[in-house]
Amino acid sequence: MTTIDESASTVTRRRRFSTRRARAGRMFVAPNLASVAVFMLFPLGFSLYMSWQNWDLFRPAKFVGLANYHNLFAEDPLFVIALRNTVVYTVGTVVPTVLISLAVAGVLNRKVKGISIFRTIIFLPLAVSSVVMAVVWQFVFNTNNGLLNIMLGWIGIGPVPWLVDPKWAMLSLCTVSVWRSVPFATVILLAAMQGVPDNLYEAARLDGAGELRQFVSITVPLIRAAVSFVVVISIIHAFQAFDLVYVLTGHNGGPETATYVFGIMLFQHAFGFLEFGYASALAWVIFAILLVLTALQLRLGRRRAAQEERSWA
Amino acid sequence: MASVTFEEATRHYPASTRPAVDHLDLSVDDGEFVVLVGPSGCGKTTSLRMIAGLETVDSGRIRIGTRDVTDDDPKDRDVAMVFQNYALYPHMTVAQNMGFALKIARITKAEIRERILDAARLLDLEPYLDRKPKDLSGGQRQRVAMGRAIVRRPQAFLMDEPLSNLDAKLRVQTRNQIARLQRRLGTTTVYVTHDQIEAMTMGDRVAVMRDGVLQQCAAPRELYRSPANVFVAEFIGSPAMNLFSLPVVNNSVALGDCAIQVPREITAAAGEIVVGIRPEHFEIGAGGIEMQIDVVEELGADAYLYGRVTGLDNTFGQPVVARADGRSPPLRGDRVRLQPQPGHLHFFAADGRRLP
Amino acid sequence: MGVAERVIKPSIVRGVVLYTALTVIAWCALFPILWAVSGSLKDEGEVTTPTLFPSHPLWSNYREVFALMPFWRMLFNSVLYAGSVSIGQVFFCSLAGYAFARLRFRGRDTLFVLYLGTLMVPLTVTVIPQFILMRIAGLTDTPWAMIVPGLFGSAFGTYLMRQFFRTLPAELEEAAILDGCSPWQVYWRILLPHARPAAMVLAVLTWVNVWNDFLWPLLMIQRRSIATLTLGLVRMQGEYVARWPVLMAASILILLPLLLVYVIAQRAFIRGIAVTGLGG
Repeated sequence: MTTIDESASTVTRRRRFSTRRARAGRMFVAPNLASVAVFMLFPLGFSLYMSWQNWDLFRPAKFVGLANYHNLFAEDPLFVIALRNTVVYTVGTVVPTVLISLAVAGVLNRKVKGISIFRTIIFLPLAVSSVVMAVVWQFVFNTNNGLLNIMLGWIGIGPVPWLVDPKWAMLSLCTVSVWRSVPFATVILLAAMQGVPDNLYEAARLDGAGELRQFVSITVPLIRAAVSFVVVISIIHAFQAFDLVYVLTGHNGGPETATYVFGIMLFQHAFGFLEFGYASALAWVIFAILLVLTALQLRLGRRRAAQEERSWA
Repeated sequence: MASVTFEEATRHYPASTRPAVDHLDLSVDDGEFVVLVGPSGCGKTTSLRMIAGLETVDSGRIRIGTRDVTDDDPKDRDVAMVFQNYALYPHMTVAQNMGFALKIARITKAEIRERILDAARLLDLEPYLDRKPKDLSGGQRQRVAMGRAIVRRPQAFLMDEPLSNLDAKLRVQTRNQIARLQRRLGTTTVYVTHDQIEAMTMGDRVAVMRDGVLQQCAAPRELYRSPANVFVAEFIGSPAMNLFSLPVVNNSVALGDCAIQVPREITAAAGEIVVGIRPEHFEIGAGGIEMQIDVVEELGADAYLYGRVTGLDNTFGQPVVARADGRSPPLRGDRVRLQPQPGHLHFFAADGRRLP
Repeated sequence: MGVAERVIKPSIVRGVVLYTALTVIAWCALFPILWAVSGSLKDEGEVTTPTLFPSHPLWSNYREVFALMPFWRMLFNSVLYAGSVSIGQVFFCSLAGYAFARLRFRGRDTLFVLYLGTLMVPLTVTVIPQFILMRIAGLTDTPWAMIVPGLFGSAFGTYLMRQFFRTLPAELEEAAILDGCSPWQVYWRILLPHARPAAMVLAVLTWVNVWNDFLWPLLMIQRRSIATLTLGLVRMQGEYVARWPVLMAASILILLPLLLVYVIAQRAFIRGIAVTGLGG
């Protein structure tokens, strides 16, 4: 009889133990969950809801169904412009960023004296705000007084209207954007490169591989997962660019809408024209495009990445 | 195919007090299989890596054949290495792993294919050529690592403890395969291991190293029969040789209540010597050293008796190990007499050197 | 003719190439900042000349920054917002991260998948409703607008901490439980102290994010007295368009606190990246 009682009380004790932990678990997650729900999930649903309305915050909202989407695709010439500009900006940022940061990370991936100083310096732009850098680069790109034009003047090339001419504005913007993104990508790629075991390089050296061959045949294939990650994050980031564009080329999307990207368009419609419904529809279109892009990327990358990861075992 | 020679090769890491490899003089003949063996930290792996060019040589030279390769890049030395953890390229198939070096050397695709197939046949890897390392067992990966070395047809093979990651049974099997392979291919091989059994069974000659210094390099039989010093004597042979540090009195030394005669040339040279007798060189019987048995290890055909020498007035002295017949060994607690077999006594000076 | 001869050919050439490459890259990374420093010390005439070193360093430009914008006030605001949100994030995300990593409760795993899902949602979608929310709550143009949205943690931070906690050995927690600790005590006394690398990463990322944030302060803040440095700089840029030296001086001043934080935290930050597996 005593044994039955004992086992019953052990069971209740165990149950009490796990319920206590479960309760703690729920309590620990609660504030966080509340924040995520209020600031992430609710906005998600609410903006979808708003995209079916016309609303300017002061007068009551009017339900218009899918009219906003229709206007976006069919009637707004600026949508196509923004789409084109955003794609150009994204490609013009991500491709050079990935290539340059691969090379930079490769150079930084050595154990020579003083390398940590160089790493600190090269990662510095990470800490700097887009806004501050935009102000500084504006100075560099200034048509009359900027550093670049002055230096070009030495070799006899006339001043280039970096930020004023539609043809150059996007290029200038991309340059700053690449300058800004390379450090972040380099940090990630460098960390991945440091995970490649040393003796793979030793084996490659014995097999006759020189520095470049080692980099191309060993390093790059083995950090494929990190490269994917960088590409995905960079695309998502570039697609929504706002800060940099606003400060460098203004809130109207630059000279003759040369730098009119989605971020600017959204800001304009939401906080300039107070067309919250229309802006929300735009936001969801951007979201949808990004989802598709990312899903494609992940599908392509995941199969290869999983192979790579498992082969380390 | 070529010889490999160390000439006073030295490697001294800046952080440590003694060199990792200290003026190593060793030559491996063309086609020979030499094993570098010793406890961890003895410098054997460092020496191997010096041949490969993966360690800088602080002083001395390394030659492969007649060429002085001391300053050459690894890729110019034409040696192949089998790493301890294989270092297979995880993102390449077995065939690609094996063909990588050949591709760099710009060998024709047809020839590459042929060499890979040859090696695969030799190593039973044909069904696995299109698999990646993650899909292979430990033994298979080990064979791929060997295959990668074989296809290059290098001047020398360097092997860094290639069996240490395999389980015991596989180890014995693979050990034989490697030895047979080397005999068939005839490539000069330098092999590193910490396992003296591997060393003794595989090598044409064995080089015993300790603290960066070469102790002795000789055929296994020679190492067994005439170890050059106490360290080699103890290292080679399992269980280890019994070593007793004893003062010489009247041309003999006393072990317990037994006196062992010491040849005159030796006693003239030293006052205290070390006497060595292998466990298998005792006759258990009527005369000799008396031993109190503490532990009996029965291994089937043999049994090993672990105990202590008993002295006068029943004091217990040095530990001693003896081999007995496994069929009916003495029991724990028994006392037996061990008679050293004539001709199997080893004498060493107090500093460890062999005498005479 | 021993060691010296050996060192010359391959290593020295390789070394020179390497250090040259490193210097070029470092120069590219630094030059805008160096240029800004140099510009900040020149007068308006000289600022257009591409000399790196100003002829007479004009420290008065820096003094003018303080006259033209309420720098100390804005610095205080930026520090307040970045600091509170960082602390809040580290605390609440590590708490939730621990729960997701080690405490079992019903619906835990589905909830976590939901969290992961929100990581995908772009800022563009959430910013308008967040703006409206703040409007309705009457918090616009108050410091709370800057602090509350991030204070209780985020999905990203929770993900980071959870991944990290999963790499800690379970024995740590088990030993504490056997010693009689409640889940809170396990968290507070054992796990949080061990979480420094990941907490560092989260704190630095959060701090930098909040400090540099531009869109949100732009939307939320009208009064100068609660504005951030970033906002202040852009407003200043709007007002004093051609006064480059002063603008550069302001930029540098805004950079400095962040650089300080960065230099201090850098090593821990980089190690944290490796530890939390952010590198893929």
